[in-house]
Amino acid sequence: MTIFGKLMWFFRTHKRLYALGLSFLFLTEISQMVSPALVGRFTDEVVSRTLTIEKIFLYAGGILLFSLLMYVFRYAWITNIFQGSALLEKTLRQQLFDHYMIMDTTFYQRHRTGDLMAHATNDLSAVQRVASGGILMLVDSVVVIIFTVISMIIVVDWRLTLIGVLPLPLLVIGVWYLSPKIRAAFTQSQEAFSRLSNKSQESIAGIKAIKTLGQESADVEAFEIQVKDAIQVNKRVARIDALFGPMATVIMTLSYVIMMTYGGSLVIDKAITIGQLVSFSTYLGLLVWPMFGLGQLFNVLERGNASYIRVQNILSEKSAISEAENGVVEPAKGDLVIQINQFTYPDTDNQEPTLKNIHVSVKSGGTVGIVGRVGSGKTTLIKLLLRQFDGYSGVIRVGNVNIKDYTLKAYLQAIGYVAQENFLFSTTIRDNIRFSDMNKSQEDVAFAAKQADFHDDILSLPAGYDTEVGEHGVSLSGGQKQRLAIARALINDPEILILDDALSAVDARTEKNILRVLKTQRADKTTIIAAHRISSVMTADEIIVLDHGEIKERGTHETLIEMDGWYAKMFRQQQLVTEIVKKGNGKAGIDG
Amino acid sequence: MAEKKDSIWVKSIPLKEQIHVIVTLIRTAKPFRQMFFWALAFGAVFALLQAAAPRIIAYYMTDYLQQNNHVTFQVMLSFAILVVVIRLGQAVTDFLNAYYFTVAAEYALEDLRVKVFRKLHTLGMRYFDQVPAGSLVTRVNNDTASLADFWRFFMELTFVAMSMIGAYVGMLTVSVKATFLMLVFVPFIIGSVLIYQRFSSRLFRHMRERLSHLNAKIAESITGIDVIQEFYQEERFKKSFAKVNGEYFNARFRMIQADALLLEPMIDLLLGAATVLVFWYFGVLSMTTVVSAGVIYAFTTYLNNIFSPLESVMNLFSPFQEGMVSGYRILGILAEDTDAPKQNETANKIITEGKIEFKHVDFSYDGQHKILEDLTFTANPGDTVALVGHTGSGKSSTINALMRFYDFQAGQILIDGHDIRDIKRDDLRQKMGLVLQEPFMFFGDIASNIRMYDESITDQQVVTAAKFIGADKLIMDTPDDYHSQVQEGGSGFSAGEKQLISFARTIVRDPKILILDEATANVDTETESLIQQSLLKMRQNRTTIAIAHRLSTIKDADLILVLDKGQVVERGTHDELLKEHGRYYDLYRLQGTQTDTATE
Repeated sequence: MTIFGKLMWFFRTHKRLYALGLSFLFLTEISQMVSPALVGRFTDEVVSRTLTIEKIFLYAGGILLFSLLMYVFRYAWITNIFQGSALLEKTLRQQLFDHYMIMDTTFYQRHRTGDLMAHATNDLSAVQRVASGGILMLVDSVVVIIFTVISMIIVVDWRLTLIGVLPLPLLVIGVWYLSPKIRAAFTQSQEAFSRLSNKSQESIAGIKAIKTLGQESADVEAFEIQVKDAIQVNKRVARIDALFGPMATVIMTLSYVIMMTYGGSLVIDKAITIGQLVSFSTYLGLLVWPMFGLGQLFNVLERGNASYIRVQNILSEKSAISEAENGVVEPAKGDLVIQINQFTYPDTDNQEPTLKNIHVSVKSGGTVGIVGRVGSGKTTLIKLLLRQFDGYSGVIRVGNVNIKDYTLKAYLQAIGYVAQENFLFSTTIRDNIRFSDMNKSQEDVAFAAKQADFHDDILSLPAGYDTEVGEHGVSLSGGQKQRLAIARALINDPEILILDDALSAVDARTEKNILRVLKTQRADKTTIIAAHRISSVMTADEIIVLDHGEIKERGTHETLIEMDGWYAKMFRQQQLVTEIVKKGNGKAGIDG
Repeated sequence: MAEKKDSIWVKSIPLKEQIHVIVTLIRTAKPFRQMFFWALAFGAVFALLQAAAPRIIAYYMTDYLQQNNHVTFQVMLSFAILVVVIRLGQAVTDFLNAYYFTVAAEYALEDLRVKVFRKLHTLGMRYFDQVPAGSLVTRVNNDTASLADFWRFFMELTFVAMSMIGAYVGMLTVSVKATFLMLVFVPFIIGSVLIYQRFSSRLFRHMRERLSHLNAKIAESITGIDVIQEFYQEERFKKSFAKVNGEYFNARFRMIQADALLLEPMIDLLLGAATVLVFWYFGVLSMTTVVSAGVIYAFTTYLNNIFSPLESVMNLFSPFQEGMVSGYRILGILAEDTDAPKQNETANKIITEGKIEFKHVDFSYDGQHKILEDLTFTANPGDTVALVGHTGSGKSSTINALMRFYDFQAGQILIDGHDIRDIKRDDLRQKMGLVLQEPFMFFGDIASNIRMYDESITDQQVVTAAKFIGADKLIMDTPDDYHSQVQEGGSGFSAGEKQLISFARTIVRDPKILILDEATANVDTETESLIQQSLLKMRQNRTTIAIAHRLSTIKDADLILVLDKGQVVERGTHDELLKEHGRYYDLYRLQGTQTDTATE
């Protein structure tokens, strides 16, 4: 029941909707009481043959009138109450979505995509069920039961009523008993289903391996075993599910027996009329659903409550990245100075700092290269530059302003970032390139694409710039994706461009082209290039070599080669393969 | 943004197609017809009993209570017992009907699920290269699951039909004339059902389409959150989500309105109208002749039996439709003819030596653009043939043809002098070991990943293979050695480790022919040398076809083919090719002879 209290803010906001909905629901329930009474009276008059045309007109007219009224009442309450629940779902979904948009990286590390999706779908539908089915069940079970019993007492007989409805609470108990059982069975069924899903997912993803080994039929057999398991589980669900109806039949039978025997003897004793007995049986029928509802009510509320708590927990999580109050709103510009003393990832057991003593300064217009083996801290450093984590000791300044003192807008819009793997949205290439500013013209888009050496590729695609990419669009090769992402970053001519191994999948010639464009067309803008490939950073003004989060070597390409350390060794190693690897890459299509 | 995927919701399937889907789906349930039959039989008994109960109570009311006709305790009791027996019978048959029908439907859909899964395994690589894996997973699982609703609809439909017939028969025994009068409502019932069906199907499709749009939007925004935040586009996404969210709400509200207008309230209105007719008929009748209480009771109860189950059928329209769309997609897969290339029917040859000959092989993916043209070469038993060339030059296509992933169009591929299509399929798979560029790990443990379903491989063989490869040490470092859990996709293992385990998977089968598809790509430098050593060992005494972009790894090949646009442009050994001063020479020179040994 507490869930209703928790949702009060919503009910209060939509007072009118709920006032109307509840009033009409109430009217519907009350109107239901009329017809059984009319049927009983009518029966009596038929039996006693006291009917006249006028009376028939009245009885039939009464039924008709109330049928029409109930049609209107029903329509009104259903549209209001269910609209409310849909509105609740919509409101919460928007809240969740808005929250997702502002949460930081650690949030996305704590919660998997699937779970976040589940909150926005399954949990919300459980909550909205409270505001639709839950309210209906509550009103039904309270109002209908009370009014029906009162009507029975008034219209029929209080003794028969009290004894007759005696078995009905058994129905509540029965439903209340079976509901958790079916829920448990259903959970098992869902688990079996997701096992099947995972199995087939794996088989399809690994189809080539299976085909290579010729194990198709063995794989089908393995699948069949899981299917058999699923059948057993689903049989159990079917068994419990099929029990609800018969249970109601059996319990109602008890009431019917009471009606026939005790009710019958009342008729014979002339304590009630036969018409009243007919009314009684109709009233009994009215009680079945509310009893069912009462049995399920707590279930619906409990699930809704659990879901609501989950949603609220998510909503109450705070992003560690906070906007500076009265932050600098002028776009970030100027020399980049990195002075990080130490940084350790939050939420990890690892006490070892990921970055230590990183002191680098880049003049506006300069280029800095960052190299180092996997896990040396390159990407972490970039994450700090992107303000994905703020919890480091030290300071990063752009144009002599701490980057935390800028508004996120002023800072982030001055930065262009390209990762190794870049997410593309399910829309056209054009809209992906002008992602940061949908007002950019086709000319702007094409200019950025040309800078990224991607323009010609786009023109060779079926619909050119209108080609859909992303999950359901054409699949681009790794190199094409990287170049699209570079164009996306360049379209705003960012003050600071960050390439995080963003040229790894493009071939040597293209890499050279892009680097040359960056050098010439971004002469007054800062560029940071982190890479595995030495060729990407060779021309940088300064190159730093990271190892275990510290700067191990630094200098220009020439001085580093002279130093003959890790950098020089890597350079020699890579020089051998680079050219050929590059030729082999830039992949397209099926081959590769 | 996900319209493409769900375009199936945008327009309805033509009626003819719908009927075809329904008929075909019902046919697939044939093996379970007995169970369906029993379910229906129990349903019929239920309908009969359901019709009998009001009749008996009516009789009791009219002939005993109303006329106070020797209503002894015994009479009361026997009527009560009769009603108890009938209603218990109802309860039992109700249960059996629902249970058997649901279970039969479950068997039918699981059967279809296995069929789809099996069918997928008969399809060629072409199919998997073209169709996204995600949608196939949906076909196998979600689409078959929604067939449960398809069947449930039929269950409710037969149930309603039988209840109606039972109720009308019951009425008939009470009053023939009034029963015929009540038939007036049949067209109204059918009419309102059809109107609802028409409205709801359109609205439902629209709602479903909006919903999948909405979910796609959430999923995409979560996956792309880094990009959104980096480009400071949160506000734009919030706004565009608000639009999608609002559209779904509107679609849903229209569905709610349609339900409120045409579903339960409408059925109750019809019931009210029917009651009015009963009142009118029997009221007027009572003015001229005797009408008993039981008649009124029976008729009002029967009307209830006719109208109240209608709602559950109508409620199932939308899920039924969903089931049908799913069925449509499933049948699409079952009718798919992108079969895996077939061996000749008389294929009975086996591989003994491992000699491979390509003779004037033409190969194309689309039947128009030749990817391989007149490819001819021979790999003698134990030799290594390396394929070198740019992306698109035809290296992978050569392997696709050799592995029979795709059919080639012209020429011949011979193994040990036999046409490859004459070699037994199992033998082909057994004797040709392909090492994929991206090794795939399956859920299970390390041993099962090496064994891969082949239970004839002993534990000892698994260990021997791993030791041979040099993966033993890495495996013994895992918590449970060979029985360490492997998660789906092999997370927790580095690319190099996965590659080593996949080597063991290949080598444990002791293939005659080894095919390496850029097996050293994507590997960290730490495991690289280990992998190189393993490859060297694996190649001994095996015919090897290798694709490599690191020329240093194939320098010792017996034959190097330089491919360009599907044709061999140079062939020879490393030394011969260098002397030619051609493409190979260029490629090789680029890497610089000085540092050549540095990678080893």
